[in-house]
Amino acid sequence: MRGQITGRLASLVKRSSKSAIEADGPDAALLADLRSALAPDRVKMDGAQRSLLGHDASVFGGGVAGPVCYPVDAAEVSAIMTIAEQHGRGIVPRGAGTGLAGGAIPLGAPVVIAVTKMNSILEVDTENRIAWVEPGVINLDLSKHLASYGFHFAPDPSSQQVCTIGGNVGNNSGGPHCLLYGVTNAHVVAMEVVLASGEIVTLGGLDAEPDGYDLRGAFVGSEGTLGITTKIAVRLTPNAPSVRTLLLAFSTVQAAANTVSAVIADGIVPAAMEVMDQRITIAVENYVNAGYPTDAAAVLLAEVEGLEGGTAIDADRIAELGRENGAVSVRVAATDEERALLWKGRKTAFGAVAQIAPDYYLHDTVVPRSKLAEVLDQIYEIADRHDVLVMNVFHAGDGNLHPLIVFDGRIEGTWDRVHAAGGEILQASLAAGGVLSGEHGIGVEKQQYMSAMFSDDDLDHQGRLRRAFDPACRANPGKVLPAGHSCADIAALRKVPSGVWG
Amino acid sequence: MDLKLDADDLNTCVQCGLCLPHCPTFRVTGEETMSPRGRIALMRAVQDDGVPVTDEVVDAFATCVQCRGCEPACPSGVPYGHLMERTRETLADAGAMTPTWQRLALKPLAYPAMLRAGSKALSVAQRLNLVPARLGLSEEIPFSQEPLATSGDDLFLFTGCVMDAWQRDVHASGQRVLEAAGFGVTPTNDLAPCCGALQAHAGLARDTRSLAEKMMANLPAGGGETPRPIVVDSAGCGAAMKDYGHLLGTPEAEAFSARVFDIQEFVAQHMNRLPAVEPLELAVAVQDPCHLRHVQRVHDATRTVLRPFVRELIELDDDGLCCGAGGAYSVLQPELAGQIRERKVASIERAAADFVASANPGCSMHLGGVGVATVHPMQIVDRGLHGIA
Ligand code: SF4
Ligand code: SF4
Repeated sequence: MRGQITGRLASLVKRSSKSAIEADGPDAALLADLRSALAPDRVKMDGAQRSLLGHDASVFGGGVAGPVCYPVDAAEVSAIMTIAEQHGRGIVPRGAGTGLAGGAIPLGAPVVIAVTKMNSILEVDTENRIAWVEPGVINLDLSKHLASYGFHFAPDPSSQQVCTIGGNVGNNSGGPHCLLYGVTNAHVVAMEVVLASGEIVTLGGLDAEPDGYDLRGAFVGSEGTLGITTKIAVRLTPNAPSVRTLLLAFSTVQAAANTVSAVIADGIVPAAMEVMDQRITIAVENYVNAGYPTDAAAVLLAEVEGLEGGTAIDADRIAELGRENGAVSVRVAATDEERALLWKGRKTAFGAVAQIAPDYYLHDTVVPRSKLAEVLDQIYEIADRHDVLVMNVFHAGDGNLHPLIVFDGRIEGTWDRVHAAGGEILQASLAAGGVLSGEHGIGVEKQQYMSAMFSDDDLDHQGRLRRAFDPACRANPGKVLPAGHSCADIAALRKVPSGVWG
Repeated sequence: MDLKLDADDLNTCVQCGLCLPHCPTFRVTGEETMSPRGRIALMRAVQDDGVPVTDEVVDAFATCVQCRGCEPACPSGVPYGHLMERTRETLADAGAMTPTWQRLALKPLAYPAMLRAGSKALSVAQRLNLVPARLGLSEEIPFSQEPLATSGDDLFLFTGCVMDAWQRDVHASGQRVLEAAGFGVTPTNDLAPCCGALQAHAGLARDTRSLAEKMMANLPAGGGETPRPIVVDSAGCGAAMKDYGHLLGTPEAEAFSARVFDIQEFVAQHMNRLPAVEPLELAVAVQDPCHLRHVQRVHDATRTVLRPFVRELIELDDDGLCCGAGGAYSVLQPELAGQIRERKVASIERAAADFVASANPGCSMHLGGVGVATVHPMQIVDRGLHGIA
């Protein structure tokens, strides 16, 4: 028995995929140049690395990385850009790889620039309420570091315990508390950026009113298609003296959605308002044991921040509005631990659904708040019609829906139904006056729907903006803009070399 | 290649990445191959897609500390520890991991006399500066000590292999605390030479199974109303023994595992039997061994046990990230283990405590290697109860 396996393995072990690639002419030269610019052990070309970096947290597979570089400073990033240009290759920036729209998936074997080793908090300036950080700093690490100064970084995506600030900038990330504080764009004042040419520039500035066009604003949310950040100045947000968190349970999802509208209409601006439907709540509760009511059709997690007196009044009023709209129970978190546990549940919701099925496809549309209940009805109906299981968890306060289709991709024909249902959900959201993406970005996922939202003229102008930064379209090739409107078909999309795993 | 992993277990991972920051090797390298998500994806690639087991793939598996910090962080409940143990077992069987010298090095653990001789040799060598610095052994290894004496038969105190030879004073403290709580203690000494944890980590689960069977035969439940508890003061050993049920898959093994308690866990359940004393004038930082926190998940007990005995308990600010000891890991992967330890030491320094309490010999030795002195929680409780021994 043992001998048998050894024999079989012997042939497997020796067949390192490395040699196949390095023998490939253009790659060998590219690799040599990269290795001399960075330390050799920070440029990887083995099949394991390239295969793993072909994926992010989205359901999209099929990407294949070229050489994987781990630079440590802007000069190295610049050198990589220059070398990639000389070899006519694209580049793809990568943070923690938690994107859900496929933005970090390498198309056409580009050079992958992973910023995870650039993870220092360079400077905290409490007087001007600014911190300079490197792009690989983890979102939650930054807030934890700032806690001793009494501040935090406000955008708090569900993946905040792992996602990077660089990734947040690329996707203009949101999060539950962006209802009050605004998304990443409002919290980044300046950045050092390496353009596809290798040039290092600074966008934005620390002055309240920097001169000229707001190129910083154009860059935030560009999903790596305009260049790559190497240093970011973020705004510090003071921690509120008083925080109250309420958990309301409802017997219909619509009642939860109506409560959200009622709260806003009442003039209250909660820090966060999140709704989870029953299926999600059950999965989440199973992981965190936070006491989420699993018999409710939906729960609303609402949080208010501010001065003690104000939060007490707001919390009472939210409870009252909830009851008026049919809340069957209202619980107020009594301790910080209780609050933390409730949020842990909300923020791990996407991972927790794997208890139900091994794959999920998460959407990210935004609809006008007044249409929430109506669109939700449609989503459940669409899912039923295509025989897929849909769960809903969403940033209710700003109408950002996250319908989550869970499925087992191993079952024949599932993918078609998932895609059909997903497409209809997007169309329904657009028809209700919504937009394609609240916070996850377009990536490869929603590219094909861009034309449904933008006219050809709009798309052409976006393509021109992009080419102003990156004329050859080598930065994150094949992303965001649909084919025909920029560079989706450029030469940088090199044919995938052989010898790489899928 | 069939790694013999359960397909459903593998498929529980949705590649969300939430485990990444809780993985020490990802933390210090930032590389996907050094992350739980990456390692699981490689297991899948090998098992499902027939990807070759290249050196890089083996390396990705070999660099895993098996701290299992990724498990409590995973919202979808991926049984990572079992996946990795099984992967290593299959690869070790196939000759792709755990070379002969490692197997030989693990042998003496099961034979107390050999180990005592070995550690005596090691202690001589250390005094003569013959031990390479990369072993990171700091404290001098004592030449020899008297075995612990039996004081009753209410429970077993597991004394193990490495720990018995190198840290017998910890057992002595543990025994005194248990006795102060009114329990008659039978130290297992040569009855139960080794728990088999290191072997299981190295993919030599067969050795662990035979050690487990031996131990189960030697430590009977007794005829009393409640089966005799087996109290363990090394977090790694306790975690391994609690896993015998899974490892052997028999009702007897399940029943045995149910009798295993970490000593903090056990004492925490009997705090009312300990006398009230003045707390020591000490600020103590708690360093949770991974196998107490992530595997046994009873680290709260350490706080319960220590709180009445010290002026202040300080939490480290690294969310229980591994220190890099990982059984034999610090010897096999010295560079990574050192980088991981640097993070831990920085966190310990920020805590500015008088003492660091750690309930695992591996962590103590690894941290001691760079001059961070740790004490076992039971030594603090013992001192609180009995003064300086
Ligand atoms: S067991 Fe520890 S080292 Fe291994 S993947 Fe999990 S967290 Fe990382
Ligand atoms: S192991 Fe768990 S936390 Fe890690 S990527 Fe897989 S599902 Fe997510």
